[in-house]
Amino acid sequence: MGNSGHWTEDVTVREIPRTRLIAISWLVFALVLTGVVAWEWKMRSLGLVAGDLDDSKAQWAVERRKIAAGEFDDVVLVGSSRILFDTNLDVFQEVTGRRPIQLALAGTNPRPILTDFANDPAFKSLVIVDVTPDIYFGDWLGIPEFSGVIHYWRDQSPSERFGNEVGVVLSRRLAFLDGDYTLPKLIDQLDVPNRGDIVRPYLSVWKVWETNEDRQTFLWSGIEQNERLRQHARTVWGPFDGAPMDPKAIDRAIQESVEAVKKIRAHGGEVVFIRPPSAGLYYEHEQRAAPRRKTWDRLLRETGAFGIHFEDYPDMQGLDVPEWSHLSRESAKAFTRAYAGVLMKEVPRLRDPDPGKS
Amino acid sequence: MVFNSLTFLVFFVVLLVLHHLPFLSWRAKKVNLLIASYLFYAAWNPPFILLLWASTIVDWFIARGIYAARDKTRAVRRSWLVISVAVNIGFIGFFKYGAFLLENWQALMSAFGIVYVPPQWNIVLPVGISFYTFVTMSYTLDVYLGRAKPIPSFLNYALFVTFFPHLVAGPIVRPTQLVPQFDEPKQASRSQLLWGLGLMILGLFEKVVIADGGLSSAADTVFAAEKPVGFWDAWLGTLAFSGQIFCDFAGYSTIAVGAALCLGFGLPDNFRMPYAAIGFSDFWRRWHISLSTWLRDYLYIPLGGNRGTEVRTYVNLMLTMLLGGLWHGARWTFVVWGGLHGHYLAVERWIRDRTGIAGDPVHWFNRLTLVLVTYVLVNITWVFFRAHSFEGASRILAGMVGLAPDAEPVLPTIYMIKVAVLVTGIVATHWWMRDRELERVVSRAPWWITGLAAAAMLFAVIVTQGSGTAFIYFQF
Repeated sequence: MGNSGHWTEDVTVREIPRTRLIAISWLVFALVLTGVVAWEWKMRSLGLVAGDLDDSKAQWAVERRKIAAGEFDDVVLVGSSRILFDTNLDVFQEVTGRRPIQLALAGTNPRPILTDFANDPAFKSLVIVDVTPDIYFGDWLGIPEFSGVIHYWRDQSPSERFGNEVGVVLSRRLAFLDGDYTLPKLIDQLDVPNRGDIVRPYLSVWKVWETNEDRQTFLWSGIEQNERLRQHARTVWGPFDGAPMDPKAIDRAIQESVEAVKKIRAHGGEVVFIRPPSAGLYYEHEQRAAPRRKTWDRLLRETGAFGIHFEDYPDMQGLDVPEWSHLSRESAKAFTRAYAGVLMKEVPRLRDPDPGKS
Repeated sequence: MVFNSLTFLVFFVVLLVLHHLPFLSWRAKKVNLLIASYLFYAAWNPPFILLLWASTIVDWFIARGIYAARDKTRAVRRSWLVISVAVNIGFIGFFKYGAFLLENWQALMSAFGIVYVPPQWNIVLPVGISFYTFVTMSYTLDVYLGRAKPIPSFLNYALFVTFFPHLVAGPIVRPTQLVPQFDEPKQASRSQLLWGLGLMILGLFEKVVIADGGLSSAADTVFAAEKPVGFWDAWLGTLAFSGQIFCDFAGYSTIAVGAALCLGFGLPDNFRMPYAAIGFSDFWRRWHISLSTWLRDYLYIPLGGNRGTEVRTYVNLMLTMLLGGLWHGARWTFVVWGGLHGHYLAVERWIRDRTGIAGDPVHWFNRLTLVLVTYVLVNITWVFFRAHSFEGASRILAGMVGLAPDAEPVLPTIYMIKVAVLVTGIVATHWWMRDRELERVVSRAPWWITGLAAAAMLFAVIVTQGSGTAFIYFQF
C-alpha cells in the first residue's frame, strides 16, 4: 500500500506502442507543415488574405464592450450586411471626425439590437440604422451564427474571449483561417445533383465579405473580380423573389421602431435611418416586396426620425453594386462620404464636439 | 475551456512546460496542476468553481468521518454517507433537475385540476457537474465500502477530483485508478509524450472533423424537422447522430487520455469500439465504460445485482438503466432511452438464460449479423436521446418504419453522401478493431503508415478550423 492509503490499487498504466514514435513525429511535422503551406498558398490564390479576421459573435462582442465602457465617439451603426459592407469607417471618421462603432451583422435583423439600446437608460448616443427592406420590415431575426448576440457580449466566457484574441493574432498572419473556406464548407459546396426541392448547401451564401480591425467590413474582392462567384451570389439572393411582405409584420416593425426611437430620444440619444443602395433584380424584388411608400416613408413619418434613402441623393446613385446587394469597396467609400456629409448637415449633434454634455 | 479551442492549446503548452521544469519539486508541480485545473474549469464560468470546491470539501471530510467510525455501527457510517449523497445529489438536483421537477409537479397538479404556476427557473447548469459529483461520490463510497482508506493528502485528493483532463466529461475515474499516481513524481517519458500527443490528434480528428464537420449538419437537419420525415432521411439522420455522439464523446475521452499521458498520468479507456458490440451487455462494456462500471458498482450491485431472485435481478437492471438515462439530462426522453437499454439487457439476459448460449458465435458472418442487429437497435434508442420531445421522436421513428411515405425530403444529397461514407467508415473500423487494441495495431503497423495517418488527421483538423463547439456530453 502506497502513501495514497488504498487497499486495492488498480492504478491505470497505459501501454505505449512499440514503434518509431520519434520518426513518426518528424514525418507528421514535415507533412503537416508542407500541407499547411500548400493550403495557405492555394487559399491566397483563391483571393483570401491574411488580416481578414472573419466576423463572429466574439468580434461583435469586442465592439459592443467599447460602448459599455464608454470608449467610443458617440456614433453606433446597427443593421444588416449593407451598412456593414457599405460603410468605410475611415472615410466616416474623415468626414465627421468620429469613428463609429460597427455593430451591424450580416443576415440579421437590427431591430432587437435597436430595442436593446432603447431599453438601456445609459445609452445616449447616435444610432444609424440600416434599413434593408426585406429584413428590417420582416419577422425573421437572422442567421443562427449571430443568434443571441445581444446577451453574448456579457455572457461570453473568459475562455472564449481569450480564444478570440488568439484567433485574431493568427488570422492577421494566415489567410486560410477563414470560416467560409473550411474543409466541411468546401465539401458541402460541391455541385452534386440534388434530390427534391431541398435547398442544397451549394446554394448557401459563400464568402461575401472581408473583415478587418474594428469590424471594418468590405465586399470580398473575390466577388468583384470573379464572375462565377458574383453570379453565384446573385443566384443565392434569388429566393427574395419580390412576394409582398406581410403587412402585419411591417406594422410590427414600424411600431417597434417608434417605441425604440422614443425611448432613445428620452435618454438623450438620437436615431437616424439609412437605406443603402441595391440594384438589378434584387432592387426590383424589393420594390415589389416592400414598396417605399408602405415601408420607408411610413417609418420616417411615424418615428419622426431623419432618414437617408439612396434614391434621394444623386451622389449615392450610379454606384457599383456587383452582386446587386452590396457596394464594391471603392463605391462604399463614395457612399460613406456622401451619407456622412448629409449627416453632418442634418444631425446637429454630429457637429457638437461633446454631445453628451450639451 | 474546451479541448478543441485555441485557449486550450495555449493553456496546455504552458502547463506542459511548467510540469517538465527540472527544478520544481513534485509538490510544486502538483500545486501547478491543481491551480491549472481550477483555471480550466473557471474559464467557463468562474462562480461555479465554488460548487466544485464545496463538493470536494464535503466528501473530503465525510470520507474521513466514515473511516473514523469504522469500528462503530453501520448506522453511524451510513448517516455520514447519507450526508455525502444528499449534498452531491442535492447539487445535481437543484441545478440540473430543478426546472424538470417543477414542470412535472405542475403537470401533476393540473391532472388533479389544480392550477400551479411554477416560478421562473433561470438556473444555468454548471458544466460537468454530473461528472465531478460522481467522482467525489465514488471516493466516499469506496471508503464506505472498505475498498479504500481516506487519502492522507488533501492536495492529492483535490487533484484527483479536479484533474482537468477528466474533470468535465470523464472518464469518471476511481480513486484507486488515479490517486496512487500522485504519490511519486510523474513526468512523461518521451514516448508517453509523443503517444499522448498522437491520442490528442486522434481525439481532435474525431470531434472536429467527423462529429462537428462531417455529421452534425445531417443530424441537426433531420431532428429539427417539424414535418413528417421519410424513411431515408429518418435513418440517415439517426445514423448521423450515432456517429456524431460517438466521435464527440469518444473524441473527448481520447483527448483526455492523451492530455493526461503527456503529463505522465494514465487514465482508463472510456470506449472500446461500441458499434461492434454483440448484444447489449457487450455494448455497455464498450460504451461510456466509466459510467457503466460506476452504475454497476455503486447502484446495481448495492441494489442486490443478480444475487436475488430472477425478478429482482430484472428490476435492479431496469432501475439502474432508468437512472442512468436520467443522469444524462432532465427529460423523459432520456429516461425512455435508459428504459429501452434496460429492456434490451433484460431480454438478452432472458434469452441467454433460457437457451444457455454463452459467448459470441464462432462464424464471422453470424458475429457480423449480430453486430449489425445490435447497432440498429442502438440507433432506435438514439432517437429518444437526440429528440427533444416525444413528438419529435415519434416523427423520426414513424419515418424509420416507413409510416411517412409521402414525406418531403429534408436532407440534401451531399449530406446523405457524407453520412453514408462516414458512418460506414466508423462501423467498419469498429468491426475491424473489435478485438484489437489501438496500441497493438500501431505497434504492428509500419511506422510510416502511422505517420501518414496522423499527419492526415492533424491536417484535416487544421483545415476544418473547428469553431470551438462544446462537446455534447458537457451538458450532462
